[in-house]
Amino acid sequence: MEDLTSHPQDVRGAGCVADDLGDDRLLRMFADGDAGAARILTDRLGPRCYSVSLRMLGNRAEAEDVTQDAMMRLWQMAPKWVPGTAKVSTWLYRVTLNLCLDRKRKKTPEQLPEEAEPPDNAASVVEKMQDTARHDALQVALMQLPDRQRQAVVLRHIEELSNPEIAGVMGLSVEAVESLTARGKRALSAILAGRREELGYDDG
Amino acid sequence: MTMADDDMELENLFAQARKDRSELPDDLAVRIQTDAETTRLGRLVKHARPERSHWSRILDNIGGWQGFSGLAAASVTGVFIGFFAPAVLPDTAGLFGATDGSVLAADLGFDTSFLESTE
Repeated sequence: MEDLTSHPQDVRGAGCVADDLGDDRLLRMFADGDAGAARILTDRLGPRCYSVSLRMLGNRAEAEDVTQDAMMRLWQMAPKWVPGTAKVSTWLYRVTLNLCLDRKRKKTPEQLPEEAEPPDNAASVVEKMQDTARHDALQVALMQLPDRQRQAVVLRHIEELSNPEIAGVMGLSVEAVESLTARGKRALSAILAGRREELGYDDG
Repeated sequence: MTMADDDMELENLFAQARKDRSELPDDLAVRIQTDAETTRLGRLVKHARPERSHWSRILDNIGGWQGFSGLAAASVTGVFIGFFAPAVLPDTAGLFGATDGSVLAADLGFDTSFLESTE
């Protein structure tokens, strides 16, 4: 994850912003009134925020709300951001995960990932169910993990953050992150193995 | 399946998940940009508005110029009465030396005969 914190070229006032500027430089430019900086930050950070929210919540509508809320907090925080103190992306991941946890706490029954379209051909019902199951298997298994394990596994194995970065996002030590991801992976393997047996595609 | 196969299966699922990482839906991107623009313009408007002086804010708190002129008139009247008290007003400063409560009450024009009868 690249986060260039300084750049010798001053592009402000030129009517455009360069894509290779660091996140905190762009945030400063946005705070100073540069609309182009917000567009680049949205393109750069929005998808990460949405991807994590979707994996944490398993629901598109909720993930969209959380992403919008997290990005709104980014815009509001922009003037107060102190460059060099932390990575903007780390801050945003932390806000996103906290918003996801808040949503989960407010929700009483656990919602499973959105269902796929129902099969339209009776002859291929079993086959399609198996395809859907394979496709959603990881998400279904992720939703069964405790929150902290799910956060660590998603950040490490899907978002590809380093362990120290995850430690920064989750406010834990690197050792604690390693332990969480290892336990999370073991739990996922066990859940997936059980699911394969249930759905009868263990051999293939 | 062996444990190694399980691990391999899980790694394949992670790889697929990374490949299928969700793009930002177009309407969500528009909503985010709208929020950014609203925040940016709000900040610009706030900065463009002239900063009100300390005295202007105090004046507002006491009711503007009308409130200030009323306050000034009352203050001047108070000072005038303090220096040039009319004869019809009791000498309240002299009352501080009084030891008998009836004197104070009588000087203020109350009927104090009931106090005298009990003595």
